[in-house]
This record gives sequence, structure tokens and C-alpha cells, in this order.
Amino acid sequence: MLSSQVIKGCLAGKILRVNLSTDSVCTEDSHPHAARTLGGRGINSLIMLDEIDPHTRWSDPENLLCFGVGSLVGTMVPGACRVDVSSMSVFTGGKGSANVGGFWGKELKYAGYDNVIIQGRSPKPVYIYIEDDRVEIRDAGFIWGQTTFATEEILRRELGDDFIRIALIGPAGENQVRGSAVMVDTARAAGGSGIGCVMGSKNLKAIVVRGHGNIKVADPERFMREVDRCYRQCAEEPRAPIMRKSLTNFYTDPDFEGWDKIMVVRNGQDDYWERKKRIKLMNWETGVPSLRKGMRACYVCPTGCQSYMEIDRGAYAGTKGEGFWVNTIMGNACRMDQDDPETVVYSWILTNELGLDADYVGSVLAWVFELYEKGIITDKDTDGLSLTWGNGSAFIEMIKRLAYRKGLGNLLADGAVEAAQQIDKGSEYYLCHMKGQPSVEPFRVPKGWGLAVCTSPVAGRHLRGATLGGNRFGPRPRPADFNATDYKRQAYYTVWQAKTKELEDNLGICNYCGTWSGANFMTLTNFAEFVNAGMGIEVTEDNLMEHFAAVGRNLEKAFNTLHTEMTRKEDLPPLRFREQPVKSGPYKGALADESMYNQMLDEFYQLWGWDVKTGFQTRACLEGLGLHEIAEKLSKQGKLIESK
Amino acid sequence: MKIQWAKEKCYACGTCQLICSYHHTGSFWPDCASIKVLRNPQNGSIKWKLDSTCDQCDGEPEALCAKYCVYSALIVAVDQPSEIKETRDA
Repeated sequence: MLSSQVIKGCLAGKILRVNLSTDSVCTEDSHPHAARTLGGRGINSLIMLDEIDPHTRWSDPENLLCFGVGSLVGTMVPGACRVDVSSMSVFTGGKGSANVGGFWGKELKYAGYDNVIIQGRSPKPVYIYIEDDRVEIRDAGFIWGQTTFATEEILRRELGDDFIRIALIGPAGENQVRGSAVMVDTARAAGGSGIGCVMGSKNLKAIVVRGHGNIKVADPERFMREVDRCYRQCAEEPRAPIMRKSLTNFYTDPDFEGWDKIMVVRNGQDDYWERKKRIKLMNWETGVPSLRKGMRACYVCPTGCQSYMEIDRGAYAGTKGEGFWVNTIMGNACRMDQDDPETVVYSWILTNELGLDADYVGSVLAWVFELYEKGIITDKDTDGLSLTWGNGSAFIEMIKRLAYRKGLGNLLADGAVEAAQQIDKGSEYYLCHMKGQPSVEPFRVPKGWGLAVCTSPVAGRHLRGATLGGNRFGPRPRPADFNATDYKRQAYYTVWQAKTKELEDNLGICNYCGTWSGANFMTLTNFAEFVNAGMGIEVTEDNLMEHFAAVGRNLEKAFNTLHTEMTRKEDLPPLRFREQPVKSGPYKGALADESMYNQMLDEFYQLWGWDVKTGFQTRACLEGLGLHEIAEKLSKQGKLIESK
Repeated sequence: MKIQWAKEKCYACGTCQLICSYHHTGSFWPDCASIKVLRNPQNGSIKWKLDSTCDQCDGEPEALCAKYCVYSALIVAVDQPSEIKETRDA
């Protein structure tokens, strides 16, 4: 659509390519790719589809590790700080993608690059140093084996520059633990898809960036008028000041609806966590809020949702670090049935320090705790560790064993589905995963949320369209009227939310400022105006949603179809959640009803223009988006539906 | 005019630095800002520094760093000289 238009601003302008096998570096123009996708993850997806052969495995040197900074990052757009990290998923073999905020992305833009594409594999541990035009592949022997926290300190000392920004892996990624994250600013994780494991497989410890340049916009006055409009919207949004005191404060109220709607308990045995445990974890006097010593924000973000924690008592006293989220409550507390505030906070900071994806940790460890409860694994398998619900020290020890591949941790490190095959004895039934990606998500109570998790192109994660009822949409674009816990209208809103998230990820805007939950004070109208004033092209809100967002999603969908055997049946919730109802609480009896999920899937595929029977893409859909070459690739594999 | 940094309110988002650079250069160029913000996520410390290139937003209707600080961490005090450096530890 934009091929005839010239992007005049916001981009740094170059894609940096680093080949670790040949020890070589080159650059290319980012504008042609950005014109097709707007930037960010879209560019990563285009390059992966074009260059990765379907026979490639995630661990092959031919797999690419792609960092894509959103096209508005580096400017004053509120919350524009996000980076997409894409590669082949170590779990699904299809498209892997994780998204992270912080300060690394803007530094890369100021250094002159929109994307960094890592090819090949280094014969020895290395890190990449980028300072504007100076790009060097350097020996990382002195930091290999170090935690993420220690590596940050050592590199800053070694390089003598406090303003460098680092994306790195910890021991987990080095050890190619499947659920490893790429960490940024020590406390922010690009967690999904085992992206850190891929980085470890390339013997790449870190990418250090320092940028001295600038980002220009096409029409500065018009652009700043829109910035001002967003600041006014933010000031008028009643949820913004709540977010600034921490989103998790909602959970200090044991009757807050989120407890009942999205929390999965004891690995899926229930979706209701006992009231006394909620209070113990989140009370103001002795709970998690008492460990919060301050709040922080990502780059140019007026939402400011990041907690700074210090544990000042108990076994983990002295631990400090940023981060405590709703996902912490989902994975590390409810799923693990762990109500001790210090243990939950420590477990989160420890996963950051070791470079693990906390969702992976919460998912696979809750699974082995349940296997222990059921006698499927015993003390012999755990080397004497008692994996009983609420055993905090065993939880912490298992996180370490996972990262360092010790005992049972070594088995889990090679993938949970693979572990289930080895353990056998019916253990896979209790493993919550989508297409191989372990998941902490709910399926039985919030139906649209479950649908988004089921259909996520990166499998098993909620940030590709999850909705939680009309209230999550706020006043903009219009009050939405649907109930999170029934099946009606869920597909429509899931697709709407998935599309806005595509735009946010390609533009680099945090969805807590954008259209998702949280402060969500920005709208599609703002996005379109920023694209027009900043990039100097002309788009409408409809262009954004019907073209660019659809292109982004279809690129990832096509990658999955080309690289895996995924079909419609893999888009259903895990069997357990279709068979075992919620046992207690206000949603007692709720189930992920298979026929109702199938009805939602029918509507979901129709809305995207995909084939309802197979879930495959159609020629009409792809060619309507100008993706003719993708249609041909799928057609050659017999995976394109010719008639809609 | 004095720009006062309310250390306990700062979220270390860097917005003040970025808008400062926009005032000086007409582009987003944080290296050219009069303000530098640095935070250590591991120990909670935040450093905020204003250097001598600050022209009190000459030509602007108001001090932009304070205008865009939604956390109310920057306050403009008229008739006082700018304070050049402050450091905060959590």
C-alpha cells in the first residue's frame, strides 16, 4: 500500500546485519521493509519469511535472531520504547516473538538502526558492541557464566560508560534452557518463545548499544501537537494515576474481579484462589506492597507501572530489583499456590537474574509440583526435594536447578512436552501448553482471553488479542459491551485487540499506554496522526487496521503454516481445561466448552478472512494485502486455500 | 528561574531529557540535552543532572521539562538560579 509513498521520518534508516559465523557486519536500508509493515516486528517477520528455509531448526546457525525497534521509538510518543525480538520458537518450531520495553530500543535508534538481524553461530562466546557506525564482535569469555545482574555491572565497569544499554542472556540462555529470556535493563524480559535460548545457541551473550545520534520527524510541529493531545488524554484518564501507583494495587482488594477471572490455581486444578491467601500475599502491611520501595517508568512513558522492590526481611532479605506484575501473581503465586510475599518477589527477581522467562517457570514448575502431588514423580526424581504446594524453598531451588540444568531441572530444560514424554504415566495431560509453549493462561473463565491465547501466533501467550470484558476497552474507541465470561462477541473483540496490538508492536508503543488494559489513553486516531506527522505518509485508521495490522498477523500466520504442521485443531484449549471444570468460587463449574470454542474459532477465522475448516490462509486474503509472494510459498506447500 | 528536581517523585523515564533535546535541536537527540537522567535498576538509585547549557527554555512559553513531567518531579521556581546537579539514592 505504501510502496509509492516515501517515509520521511521516525526511522533510524538502517538494518544492521551481524553474521557470527563469518565474523562480518553489514547494513541495509530499512525503508522498503518499513513501507510494507510500518516497522518493528513487521520487518523481523518479513525477513524471517524471506530468508529462513522451512527445513531450518531453531538451533541451526541458519536461524535468525531479529531485534526490531518500533518505528516511533526515540520520539516523544508516550510509551514508545518497545522492541520485538523474533526468531524461530524453540517450542513450536514456528514464529517466535517476544516484546520488551525499557531503554535499549531507543539507544539502538539513536545509534542509527531500526533492526539488528543476527545470523550464524559464533565458535566461542561473544558479545556485540554497537556505538553508532562502530560495530564490533567481541570476546565474551569474561562474562560467560555470569548472571544478568553481574554481567551488566561487569560490562559497565569494563566499558566505562554508564549510558550503555544492554540486551543479554543469563546462565539459563547460555545453558540453552528452552524457557530462557533476553533481558533488558536487568528487569525487563523478552520472555516468550525461548528467545534467550536461541541467543545462547548462537554463543551470543549480549548486545551492548550506545547511540549518539538523533531521530527526526517529518512535521515536528504537527507531531508535537499530537503529543500534547495524548498528554491531555493521559491527564484525563482516571486509570493513569492508579497505574502509577502500581497496577497490582488492584489486587490488594481480595474481592477484585481479576482474582476470579484470570488466575489459574495449582497448575489448573482450580481457577479460584482462597481469600486468605490473596490477603496474605497482597495486604498493605506485610504483603507485597510493603516490599515496594518505589515506582519507575520505561523510556518516555507517562504510565509508569514498574515497581522497585526491596526485600527487607526473611530468608531473602537484601534482595533488590525492579519488577512485580500481574503475571507474577498469575504464575509465581496462584499457579504455584505460593502465598508468601517474600518468596514470590524473590522468585521473580531470581528469574530475572538467571535470565528465565517467568511464565515458563510458573508453568513447568507448577506442573511438576502437581505430578509430585499425584505420585507420578517421587523424591527419587526430585533428589529428595519435597515439591509440595506452598513449599517456597523447593520452588526457589527448582528455579536454580532449571537454569543450571541440575537433576529434574535438566529434564525440564529440554522442553516440557519432551519431559512429559520421558516421564510418561499420563503426565502430559496435566501440562498446560499451547503447541508446545508452556502457558500460565486461563481458558475456562475468560472466554475471549482464552481464544486469544489459543490463536496467538506465538502460542500460549495473552498479548495477541486477549480481552477481559468491555471495561478493558475504556471510553475509547467506544464503550464495548460484552461479558468476559460468556462466548458472545468474543471473536470480534479478540480480532480488534489483536490488530491494535500488531500496530502497537510495529510502532513500538506500550499497550499499557495504547489500547489494552492499564492506562490505555491512546487510540487509533492518535496512532494514525503520529504515523502521518512523524513518518510523513498518509494513512487512515482503517488503513492501519485493515491493512497494516492484517499484514503483520498474516506474516506470522504464514510462517507458522510453512514451518509447522499447525492446523485448526491446535487452536483449541488444552484438553484438561475442556474436561475439568472450575471447582470453586464464583465461576464454579466453568469449562472451556469445546463446541463453544469451535464456534468462536469459526467466527475468528472468518473475521481474518481465513479458511474456517482448516484455519489456513486464503489466496483472496493474502493477495488483498499485497502478499502475493507469501501466497505462492504457501501454495507450493499445498497450504493455501484457493477459494474463500 | 530554577528547575527543581523533586527526587522522591522521579520515575526516571527520561522524558525531560528528550524534550530538552527537542528544544535545543528541533529533533529527538538526548545527547544534546541539558539534562541527563540515569538510573540503576539494581539498587534503585536515580541520578538527575542539569548542566550549564540550560537556557531556561528560551523562546518557549514554559519550561518544557516541567511541562511534560507527568510525575510532578520537576518544578519551576521563578527568581531562583538553576541548580546544577542533584543525585538521589533510593
